[in-house]
Amino acid sequence: MEPTIIFAVALAGALAILAGIFEDLESDTGSQSNPNSQVQLAPQIGHLHRYFNKAISGEPPAYGFWSATGATVAVLLQTRFLSGFGEMHSVILASIFGAFVAASILSFYAIFAHISRTASMRPFKQPLQLDVILSPLPLFFAYGFLAVLCVTLISFITNMVLLNPFPVPLIALLFGITLGTIGSSTGDIHYGSERLYQTFIFGSGIPISKQGDIDIKAEYGFRNSIDTPYFTSRFGGPVTGLCFGALVFLDNWSRLFTFAGKWTPILLGIIIIILLFIINLSIEIYTRNRFNEFTKE
Amino acid sequence: MDPITALFGIIIGGTLVGVCVHFIPCSAVGAMAATTGIATGPTMLASGAGMMGLMAAAYNLDNGLALMLASGAIASMLMIALTSVVANITYAFGVGVAPTSGQSEYDRFTGFEQKQCLTPGTDGHGIPTQSFISGVIGAAMGGIGGALVFYSVYTLISPSIAQATAIAIAGIIAVGIYIINGVLPAYTLVGKTEGMTDKKFKTTPKTLYSCLIMSTVSGIFVYAASVVI
Repeated sequence: MEPTIIFAVALAGALAILAGIFEDLESDTGSQSNPNSQVQLAPQIGHLHRYFNKAISGEPPAYGFWSATGATVAVLLQTRFLSGFGEMHSVILASIFGAFVAASILSFYAIFAHISRTASMRPFKQPLQLDVILSPLPLFFAYGFLAVLCVTLISFITNMVLLNPFPVPLIALLFGITLGTIGSSTGDIHYGSERLYQTFIFGSGIPISKQGDIDIKAEYGFRNSIDTPYFTSRFGGPVTGLCFGALVFLDNWSRLFTFAGKWTPILLGIIIIILLFIINLSIEIYTRNRFNEFTKE
Repeated sequence: MDPITALFGIIIGGTLVGVCVHFIPCSAVGAMAATTGIATGPTMLASGAGMMGLMAAAYNLDNGLALMLASGAIASMLMIALTSVVANITYAFGVGVAPTSGQSEYDRFTGFEQKQCLTPGTDGHGIPTQSFISGVIGAAMGGIGGALVFYSVYTLISPSIAQATAIAIAGIIAVGIYIINGVLPAYTLVGKTEGMTDKKFKTTPKTLYSCLIMSTVSGIFVYAASVVI
């Protein structure tokens, strides 16, 4: 095993953890993905809120698009920067510019999505407030920029060091779709089930009849989207990072070994999946014993 | 692989992708812990898993079809298994609910009673063992299907195009066929399924026929394009 490859696998895993964290925080700040339905429902049951409401599209295609845009710009610029800055620095510099372009497009989409979504809530008297649009905008930009930057860098590592035959923008598209899927599947649960419904007792669950009955009051004044990452960065963001980071790392790590010939990664993959099955079963048994006090009544 | 076999490869691969979505447990309302399944759309989740499979399959392009299909399946299975585990961790420690099926009395594999931990007023939450196993089986099918489409398209177009370009085009076409076939089951699943234990699993033949037609049309287009090239 070459030290460069091992370092690249570790670096890709570390960047994937960061990408996962930032992706989830970005989507939580804008109420994107599935919890968006609750923010959309709230005015219909009389809860006029100050949440940012951007459902541009599902997270997977959205992040596929941002990442592919960032990586395409980065690849074009990297060839220009190559002679002046050398290979490594040109990749980093070009990725920064690529991520900046992608984050700018994301911010524009976010503004228009919020305005049009809020306009559709006019029959329910949901106001369109300028500070609700402008205040969280730097957050989207920052989180989106960091997420796309990490995905672009992972794509360059996967193509240039780990020697994946796909071109960098296509790798970024694939990683972006996977990242969006994981963010939507894991971290958003913390936002949709816990942050939006903090008045419900922890562990009591959220009945379907209570959907849309979200918390609109904060400790002081009204809830807003800037406060959301303050809460979700403690759990939702890190678990998303854990999932995407573990996926990228374990997938690449299993390809480092050759003790059983070409089929070694398959063998290691099966072992990892069996271990994950055991972990899942353990969590199920633990939670069944721990969280059944509300359902017993 | 001769061109006609490659055409059948695209058709079989595309159909497998469509059918796999029925096995993967997911529900959009899962984000509010109100239904069983991973908290996203079935198409989205299947696509996310399939993309990891495609990426892993691309590494083994020169190592033969069997290894390529296996690596595609394993990467997809790994993605679904990891997402299920982490989603259950979030349900357990972030929301405080146990994985429970809303439709089954008992788990088919563990025998756990499901109503015991079901929050009143919900249709289940989390990913119980039966859904986990179903998801992993579905991901394996999706990974194999995606890798088969990628390999078939690559063998169709590679004789007439430079290798790097052929890989890129085959990858993009594979992503396209994956997403087209992944979207079709959405019309029968309507955004929610618990996997192979779900009542909607009986609608799988409908998806099978629609994906078969769609994959045949896509395959003929790719075949015709490669012949013209």
